[in-house]
Amino acid sequence: MTLRPVAVAFILFAAGCKKPVQPGDPLPGLARAERDLFARGKVVFDSEFTPQTGLGPLFNSTACAECHEDPKAGGSGDEVEVHATAFRGPVCDPLVQEGGPVIQQHTTPALKQALGIDQEPFPPSATARAMRTSPVIFGRGLLDLVPDSAILAYADPDDKNRDGVRGRPNRTVDGRIGRFGRKAFVATLREFNAGAFTAEMGITSPDQPTEENIGGKPIPPGVDSAADPEITREALDLADDFVRFLAPPTPAKLGKDGRRGRDLFSQIGCATCHIPMLRTGDSPVPALRRREFAAYTDLLLHDLGPDLADICLGRAAPADFRTEPLLDLRSAQHFLHDGRAASLEQAIELHGGEGAGARNGFKVLTPADRAALIAFLRSL
Amino acid sequence: MLRTTRTTRTAALAAVLLTPLVASAPMALRPPPAAQSAPSYAYQGTVHAVNVRAGWLEVITGVGMALRLVHMSTSPTTLLAGSGMALRLTDLKPGDFVRTDCRRTAAGLVASHIEKFEVPRP
Repeated sequence: MTLRPVAVAFILFAAGCKKPVQPGDPLPGLARAERDLFARGKVVFDSEFTPQTGLGPLFNSTACAECHEDPKAGGSGDEVEVHATAFRGPVCDPLVQEGGPVIQQHTTPALKQALGIDQEPFPPSATARAMRTSPVIFGRGLLDLVPDSAILAYADPDDKNRDGVRGRPNRTVDGRIGRFGRKAFVATLREFNAGAFTAEMGITSPDQPTEENIGGKPIPPGVDSAADPEITREALDLADDFVRFLAPPTPAKLGKDGRRGRDLFSQIGCATCHIPMLRTGDSPVPALRRREFAAYTDLLLHDLGPDLADICLGRAAPADFRTEPLLDLRSAQHFLHDGRAASLEQAIELHGGEGAGARNGFKVLTPADRAALIAFLRSL
Repeated sequence: MLRTTRTTRTAALAAVLLTPLVASAPMALRPPPAAQSAPSYAYQGTVHAVNVRAGWLEVITGVGMALRLVHMSTSPTTLLAGSGMALRLTDLKPGDFVRTDCRRTAAGLVASHIEKFEVPRP
C-alpha cells in the first residue's frame, strides 16, 4: 500500500521531467508517423550524390550532411562557400546571368573535361565576394512558422524609438518577406531546402527542375546525363521533413554566472535584435504548433557596419545581415557569417553599425561580467 | 472509499501512461498533393533588365538561392499595369516586383500581362 503512491509519484515525476534535447534530435512530441518521416528524411539528408545520380555539373558538396555535420547531422560544417553579387545602389543584381549568387567550388569530371574548369568562374561583374560558412539548421522548422506579423512587429526601419536599431525585413525575388539565409533572402524552409539541393549540389527537383548555367553559359552537351528532376518529390519531401523536425538543443541549465550573463545580455542591448523567445503560428504538426522557443533572433536585417559588409541580396545592402539565431552556440567553433571570429568575444566585438551600442556595452563590462555573458551564450 | 481511491489512482496512472500513445497517434502530415496543373507560364519575380526599344524584359525568379533568369518579349497587345493604372514598359526598372502571364511561341515567351506591384513598408 505504501509503495503504490510512491510508484505513482515516480511515474508522474518521470513524465514531468523532460529529457534534454541533444543536437540532431527530433522535436519532442512528434507523432510516430512524424518520427518515421524524420528517420527516412535523414537517409536522404545523409545520401551521397554522384554524377550518375544527378550531382553537378557544378556543386559545393556531395551531400547535405557533408556541410551540416558537426556535432550531428544538421549541425555546422567546416566548408566555406563563395557568393557574389553586384550592388548598383539601391538595386542588387544577384548576377544570375553570370552564374550567381552562389559560385560553386567544384565541378564534375565531365564538366572539367568539357571546359577545363575546377570551379565556377567568378562573375566578372561582381562588386563583392562573400564567404559563407554552413550554419546549424536545428530549430529551422520552428523559425519557419513564426508569423510574418510577428517579424514585422519588431521592425523599426525609421528608428522611431530612437534606440539606434532599424530592423527591417528583406524581400524574396517575388516580394515576400524573407527569413532564411544570412541575408534573410529566402521566405520558407521548403524553398531553402529545395534551393540548397540545386545551388549546393546541382540536384534538380520538382521545385527547381532546371540546372544552373555555367558562369552564364549553357551546360555543354553530354556533361549532365541525369534526367531532370534528379530527385523525386518524395525524396525532397523527406529531406524537408528531416530538417523541419530537427529540434533546437535544450539550453544548458544556468548557474549563477550564466543567470547574471542572461541579464546582462538584455541590459546591454543584445536582446534588442536577438529576441530571446519567439512563438510559432499554426501548423498541422502539433510539435510545431504555437510553440514558444528560444530563438534569439528577430529575423530582420540590421546594418552591422562597413567592416562586415560584403554582398547585397534582395533588399539587403552589403552591410545588412539578418540577426543570426543563437542556437547551439555551445558546440560552435567559429562565429559570424563567414567564420572570421574565433571566439564569442571576438564576434561581439566585430558588431558595428546597429550592433555598435551593444558591442560598446560589452566592452565596458568588468572581466567577470564579460565572462558571465559568455557563459550564458555558451549555454545556448 | 478505498475502491474510489484505487479507481482514481488507476485512472491517473492510465492517463500518465497512455497520454504519450494518444499524442503520438498517426495524423495527416501534409495536405494531399495538388492536382497536376497544365504547364504554367506565370512568373512572379524581380525585374532584372528592360529593353524598351527591343520590347523585352528579364525577370529573376527562383527557389531559395537557386535563382533563374526568365526572358520574355512584349507585344502590342501586352497589358501593363500597376497600382490600378496602365503602365508602359519604360515605367519598369530593375528591382521592381512584377507578376507576369506569358504564352510560349516559336520565338520564346511573350508576355500577355505584366503587373507591377509594391510591397508595403513596415
